[in-house]
Amino acid sequence: MTLESTHCFAADLGGTKLAAAMADARGRIVAELTEPTDPRGGAHVAEQIVACADKLARAVGTEAARVRQIMVGVPGAIDPLTGRVSLTPNIVGLQDFDVLGHLRGRFGPDVVIENDVNLAMLGEHMLGCASRCRNAAFLALGTGAGLGLLIDGKLFRGARGSAGEIADLPIGRDPTSLTPPAPNSFELEVGSLAIVERYRRQGGSAAVTVRDIFRFLEEGDEVAAAVLDTTARWVALAVATLQSLLDLELIVLGGSIGVRPEMYARVQRVLPALFSRPVTIAPSRLGDRAGLIGAVCAAAQALRQRHEPAQRTATNVSCQTDHDGLAECRAGE
Amino acid sequence: MPSPPMASVTRQLSRRSVFEALLHRSPISRADLAKVTGLSKQTTSEVIDAFDQQGLVRPVGRTSGNVGRTAVLYELSPEGGHVLGIDLGARLTVALADIAGRVLAEADEPTDSRGGAWALEQIARLAGRLARDNHTHPSRMRSIVLATPGVVNPKTGAIEMAPNITGLGNLNVVGLLGEKLGSPVAIENDINLALLGEIWHGCAQNVANVAFLALGTGVGLGLYVNGQLVRGENGAAGEIGYLPIGGDPLQAESRLQGCLEYQVGATGVMRRYREAGGSDVDSVREVFERAQAGDPLATGVVDETARLTGLAAATVIATIDPQLVVLGGSVGARPDFADKVARVLLRLTPRPVDIRTSTLGKRAGVVGALSVALGRLHDELFGVAELAATLPLPPPRSP
Repeated sequence: MTLESTHCFAADLGGTKLAAAMADARGRIVAELTEPTDPRGGAHVAEQIVACADKLARAVGTEAARVRQIMVGVPGAIDPLTGRVSLTPNIVGLQDFDVLGHLRGRFGPDVVIENDVNLAMLGEHMLGCASRCRNAAFLALGTGAGLGLLIDGKLFRGARGSAGEIADLPIGRDPTSLTPPAPNSFELEVGSLAIVERYRRQGGSAAVTVRDIFRFLEEGDEVAAAVLDTTARWVALAVATLQSLLDLELIVLGGSIGVRPEMYARVQRVLPALFSRPVTIAPSRLGDRAGLIGAVCAAAQALRQRHEPAQRTATNVSCQTDHDGLAECRAGE
Repeated sequence: MPSPPMASVTRQLSRRSVFEALLHRSPISRADLAKVTGLSKQTTSEVIDAFDQQGLVRPVGRTSGNVGRTAVLYELSPEGGHVLGIDLGARLTVALADIAGRVLAEADEPTDSRGGAWALEQIARLAGRLARDNHTHPSRMRSIVLATPGVVNPKTGAIEMAPNITGLGNLNVVGLLGEKLGSPVAIENDINLALLGEIWHGCAQNVANVAFLALGTGVGLGLYVNGQLVRGENGAAGEIGYLPIGGDPLQAESRLQGCLEYQVGATGVMRRYREAGGSDVDSVREVFERAQAGDPLATGVVDETARLTGLAAATVIATIDPQLVVLGGSVGARPDFADKVARVLLRLTPRPVDIRTSTLGKRAGVVGALSVALGRLHDELFGVAELAATLPLPPPRSP
């Protein structure tokens, strides 16, 4: 089978929606779909990913056998040795479920799973606002909080695959003052549930989602403004924390909340007062497709590397792809 | 630059492998060198003869126990070249090692409190004494590395943000010190070097992902991931004094000195003890000693320092996911303190991490400086453009 006749399949699994794409070997997306994540979680979600691949394969008129590389972004930490996923509070039944084993059982061996925010970082590095950076972070804010890190031009996953699991950052309620002391402080301040709850507590009208609060803000709701100001302050403290630790070139704000210009503007406004050293932030350019595009780039690259073993690199996802592939991927959007 | 002819690359590769074998396996015979390197006996002998003429190797006895002729055993000669490591902090430490990584001498004294040019003069004096005692001279050092607090800008070599040593920021330290010593000097952040020291000789040997959290006069972090130091875009990675922990980051002191450092740095600890109603102390050590003696005010201050350090460590663990966290620095390396930090951390992170106390203590920085100086010397002598990696350093040993 020639490289030209093969396809790769990429998926980005989130707490509320599942995005999937079929692309050719150059990373050109030829079909794409989004559907709500199966609320039953676990094996049902894994089967939903398989079903998406089938649908997309039929849509582009290719056989399953020609889909030669599968890349799936999952919201959790992936153990580099076992492939097991942990720290996935936002999808039921995924913790300790062998996603990789299940998908390999259905697709064959060429399945890679990667943390979703790492893929978003990769997407921004390949085709978005971090294309010139060697040291950058993708700070994802939505249902939960996550972080993708690019260090010296490569994705950084940590010793046990849980680098960037920043729900536990001790920013927000002091975790040592809680009884019992508990991690997750940062997510408890900036996660979407926390924002909605804060809005309700401060006497706001019946907001159901963060999206509602952003709409109220536009309509001049002062409680909405105050709540988002508070959230932005916590986010700015996380930005200051990352910059103290890693001295980055750029910190990208992404995820459904991070990508909002209202959030970016607020964080930008409070940062100089909180942190006296220079720090550059930017809103995600790829928006809610960052993870999916990162997955497509990684899949296409893995596919090409298998066909051109001479160019094989040490990791499955490396960011030093040839720029030919990038241009093609961009053209395919 | 034109690439060197193939024959000279091959010769350099042979020299490099023989040197590496001598570095890690001496004393060793010519026959065993050939076996270990895979080179022919003739090539090995040619290289050894050349090394002998350069004064790089010396015979140290003969093989025994075998039937037949015995063979001469070789090792790297201490005369093959020396390197110097310097750690400039509240104390000044200077150490001398030979090309094989044997630490020959070490000296330390309090840093000249006038700082700046006086501190550089003091370095030259101490280095001169150490060299003389070992029958050499600073100008004959093949490689010198200086550990310094503050941020070393990787592009300019200038030291920025070194609040704990007076008058260092305005000086071209690399240039001035190089002139005084008569040999080129390289410079690196002291905590990064302390981390490399622990990796070479201390508690972090053979670990690929390590965070070194130093607490003493100030607070700082060294990060080593996938086998490399993380320096950041402008050399300011690990400047965790600026973490928004322990106070209001909007406060003037937080902005100037860093929020965390204002609380847990030496002056912060002493200030909090005074504010709590404690009597006068001259040093952080005194606060810790009083805590151990049962002074409840001092205990409160130490516990709070451990809590804030634990929060900083939790931040590092959530972000970087290291395999190992090493606590170092004059305060951080105290075992009583490390226990308290570990207890705080246990409640803060769902992913327990191996925590160890620095085994090199105040020597960590100078040992790390020596390790980098050695790597640079080895690269200078046996580097091959096609091989980016520095030769692995030998394990610790005495002269």
